[in-house]
Amino acid sequence: MITGRAAGVVAAWAALAVLGAAAPGPRAVEPLFVDAAAETGLTFTHVSGASGNYYLAEEMGAGVALFDYDNDGDLDVFLVQGGSLDPSASGARPTSRLFRNDLKVAPDGTRTLHFTDVTAAAGISLATYGMGAAVGDYDNDGNLDLLVTSFGAETLYRNNGNGTFTDVTRDAGVSDPQWSTSAAFLDYDRDGRLDLFVANYLDFTVANNKRCADPAGARDYCGPRSYHPVRDRLYHNDGNGHFSDATERTGIGKAFGAGLGVAAGDYNGDGWPDLYVANDATPNQLWINQHDGTFTDQGLLSGAALNAAGNPEGSMGIASGDFDRDGDEDLFVTNLAGETSVLYANDGRANFEDVRARAGLSSPTAAFTGFGTDWFDYDNDGWLDLFVANGGVNVIEAQRGQPFPFFMKNQLFRNLGTGRFEETSAAGGPAFARPGIGRGAAFGDLDNDGDIDIVVTSNNGPVRLLLNQAAAGAHWLGLRLTQPSVNRFGVGAWIGVEGGGHPTLWRRVRTDGSYLSASDIRVHVGLGSAPPGPSAVVVQWPDGPRERWTGIAPDRVVTLTRGTGENADRR
Amino acid sequence: MVRAILGLVVALASAPPAAAQAPPLPHLELDSYPAATRDAIAPALKNASARDSDPAVVGALGRVLQAWEQYAAADQAYQRAEALAPRAAEWHYLDGVVLRRLARHADAAVEFAAAAAADPSYLPARVARAEALLEAGDLDAAAAAFDALAAAPLARPQAEFGLGRIEAARGRHPAAIAHFEKAIALFPEWGAAHYALAQSYRATGRLDDARRALERHAQYGPRWPGLADPLLAAVTALRDDAQAALRRGLDLAAAGDVQGAITAHEAAVRIDPDLAQAHANLINLYARLRDWDKAAEQYRATVALGYNLAEANYDYALLLGLQQQWDDAEAAYRRAIAVNPFYSEAHNNLGQLLERRQAFEAAADEYKLAVDANSGFRIARFNLGRMLIGLGRPQQAVVVLEPIEQPRDAESPRYMFALATALVRAGRVEEGARWATEARRLALDYRQTDLAQAIERDLAQLK
Repeated sequence: MITGRAAGVVAAWAALAVLGAAAPGPRAVEPLFVDAAAETGLTFTHVSGASGNYYLAEEMGAGVALFDYDNDGDLDVFLVQGGSLDPSASGARPTSRLFRNDLKVAPDGTRTLHFTDVTAAAGISLATYGMGAAVGDYDNDGNLDLLVTSFGAETLYRNNGNGTFTDVTRDAGVSDPQWSTSAAFLDYDRDGRLDLFVANYLDFTVANNKRCADPAGARDYCGPRSYHPVRDRLYHNDGNGHFSDATERTGIGKAFGAGLGVAAGDYNGDGWPDLYVANDATPNQLWINQHDGTFTDQGLLSGAALNAAGNPEGSMGIASGDFDRDGDEDLFVTNLAGETSVLYANDGRANFEDVRARAGLSSPTAAFTGFGTDWFDYDNDGWLDLFVANGGVNVIEAQRGQPFPFFMKNQLFRNLGTGRFEETSAAGGPAFARPGIGRGAAFGDLDNDGDIDIVVTSNNGPVRLLLNQAAAGAHWLGLRLTQPSVNRFGVGAWIGVEGGGHPTLWRRVRTDGSYLSASDIRVHVGLGSAPPGPSAVVVQWPDGPRERWTGIAPDRVVTLTRGTGENADRR
Repeated sequence: MVRAILGLVVALASAPPAAAQAPPLPHLELDSYPAATRDAIAPALKNASARDSDPAVVGALGRVLQAWEQYAAADQAYQRAEALAPRAAEWHYLDGVVLRRLARHADAAVEFAAAAAADPSYLPARVARAEALLEAGDLDAAAAAFDALAAAPLARPQAEFGLGRIEAARGRHPAAIAHFEKAIALFPEWGAAHYALAQSYRATGRLDDARRALERHAQYGPRWPGLADPLLAAVTALRDDAQAALRRGLDLAAAGDVQGAITAHEAAVRIDPDLAQAHANLINLYARLRDWDKAAEQYRATVALGYNLAEANYDYALLLGLQQQWDDAEAAYRRAIAVNPFYSEAHNNLGQLLERRQAFEAAADEYKLAVDANSGFRIARFNLGRMLIGLGRPQQAVVVLEPIEQPRDAESPRYMFALATALVRAGRVEEGARWATEARRLALDYRQTDLAQAIERDLAQLK
């Protein structure tokens, strides 16, 4: 349990930071984030099952999903579990876990954050070798459903709306035996029903495990080029609880790589959802929606598939958002150490420019293998910042000889509003100084205090809950969309917040992106420190029409219901 | 910045600092390395520890560490060698190479600058400095460096490419296009230059030109104009372990030098007889030379090592098929599929064997599995389409065959003819005739006269 914005933890850290101070000394700078996982009952340790056989799947997981499964107004946490891949292993396999958020807010505003493991009660004890999670209300009943990807077939859980889930995989027709990683719910044909894209990785099997070596000749995990990529899948939601495999007819099967990350966005600004897929050591795809139920891959032509030397990179996670406030979605993609992560700036027509060096993101990311990531305004100043969960995939030179020589520190980057970023990891607090094997990362306001927190997973390690301490005093606006009968949460809607002397701040309603993870479906917008006054909010709904609401007061979560705003269609 | 200042101080120093002032040798836990690596590094480390004021000996340790890709340790050794011998170009240059591998481009540029100052005639250092400055985002300094290189004929392609990238980064795409076109004129097979050119074409709205440039990028891939680099070549030559031999063998195989690849792979298994991947690769390599006995011997060696690799079984199956040992080949394909159920090539070839013994439904099932695993596998799609036509399911054949008419290449006429046949059998005669006409035209374009005549005959029958 943690009370009052992790005050106890902060105090303890501050005491440690004032070296040698026996008596109260100058107060240490408060860390931007504190890790409150253990204190809040979010106790979960990922089991990779590393057996010494170097099965590739062991080092890739796992993800996390933040979603309000019980519709009580706060974010619950689903953590994906691995297990053992060794055919000779015996005993019960550890299961993925669902933690209910029992947040309490006292009359004086004091918050008590605590999580309760409700896995068994929710009927969600999944014992596959899990990889990731995706969240969306596929049956339009107002309850968020859950897809779990695996090394093996994925599993779809329908949220029954009473605190329990039902495994509907077979009836839904989404069971594909290939190794699935990240997934995204999107309404690609704008029919009001959420379709499903599943990224698949490689044709690795335990039986076909190869023996690979690191540069020094020691046994190591194989790279992606040791196996063949397998194609991704796009499922069309037929509206009767069943999905049909639309991979062929939509053209999605025409190109594929070793898929690890996926984000849906409208990259060419035509009002139709496109898809960006991050592939490991193979060109990334940018699937542009053709408005007729098909897509064409314009990754190469768009400039978002390769690096400047024309080579693919080891792409893992994706952050999709308008970092430069020019009204379109830009892409930040995490890559392998030695490659640097990349920032692709969008010109609004899906033409991307690699600006990693100009943005100051090249050098700081060079030594890190990045996975989970997202744009999020951690200090509520109106500019989208970045978090990157890092962890190695091959033996790190300085850690040679250790049992798990893959430890790296996570990173935080502040958007300076000039097109450049500064690394602020050092100010992040001990949570950023302590290395782990970072993989999944999901973003959302877990304690409903007006700033974005992060849940970070670690391969073969404990989960971290990074509670945001950075945004105190700055103003914000939380937005939740609702439609009466179709696409109930407005997934894919494009929301603009006007006012406050800044350009319109555009955000997408989504849960996808990052790596193997699903983030809060609510949109959070930082409004800066100056009293912002009421804002106007424009929503472009996923099927095209625009509505506008005015007089929206800051510092609260507002639900915008379709049909209650003014018509704001562009002429 | 610290490194830049230190580099400047070191470069300007009139005398080398005392050894005590130089950075320490890297600390290496030799026990953490495999025996072959330890055996390679230990003598160099011992020498360097014994003579840690001798820049040649310290630098030699750096070279060994670099050869074994222990880059952080190599950087540390080179730092000491540079401090001991600031005017020796070699250590600065090799350190720069190491730092580029670590994506520390700004630091690398400092080292390359020191190397070029120490030996202005060493062109790789000057090229690498300009490239490192560009990667570090210092466009002005990079432009000056590439401008200076443009006068050196051997470095002209790199200079034009670099200047093009700088113009593109500044949003001046017409100027970038001019530079990229010059670079390509000097080295036509430069994949990266074609890619960069495509991006600038796109930025100026020349989409068709961009697509053509991307096709050339796909054609040439990673080919890059080389510069003789004896300093780096000496480092690479230090590796003589099994993994290095295997890597050399793979490079030779990719370049089409089968005999050279076999020699390198045989060297790898001589050094490490347990290197299963090398044995597995040799199955394929010997099969390419139709040396069935040696290929079979390598298959047995792979299996004996306990590695029931899908590729090994697949290559062995191919080998048996080439010797017309059909039953054994089928069994080997099934073993490959048991290990990797998503092995599309194995499913396709198994389908062909089943088709050969007229097990058509089973063959169609295998072809379908091949297409499911890799939807872009055109031959498998063609085979499945054929089989469905033969089994009287032309509607399904149309669905399977429609996606394979693209891209248009020498394989397309027969694929399109199959699609035409499926359409006609499905009752869509006019569409079928159109596809057949197009297939015939394309067959003539590719001088496939027999196929063109066959299509002609079918078209005549239709009329």
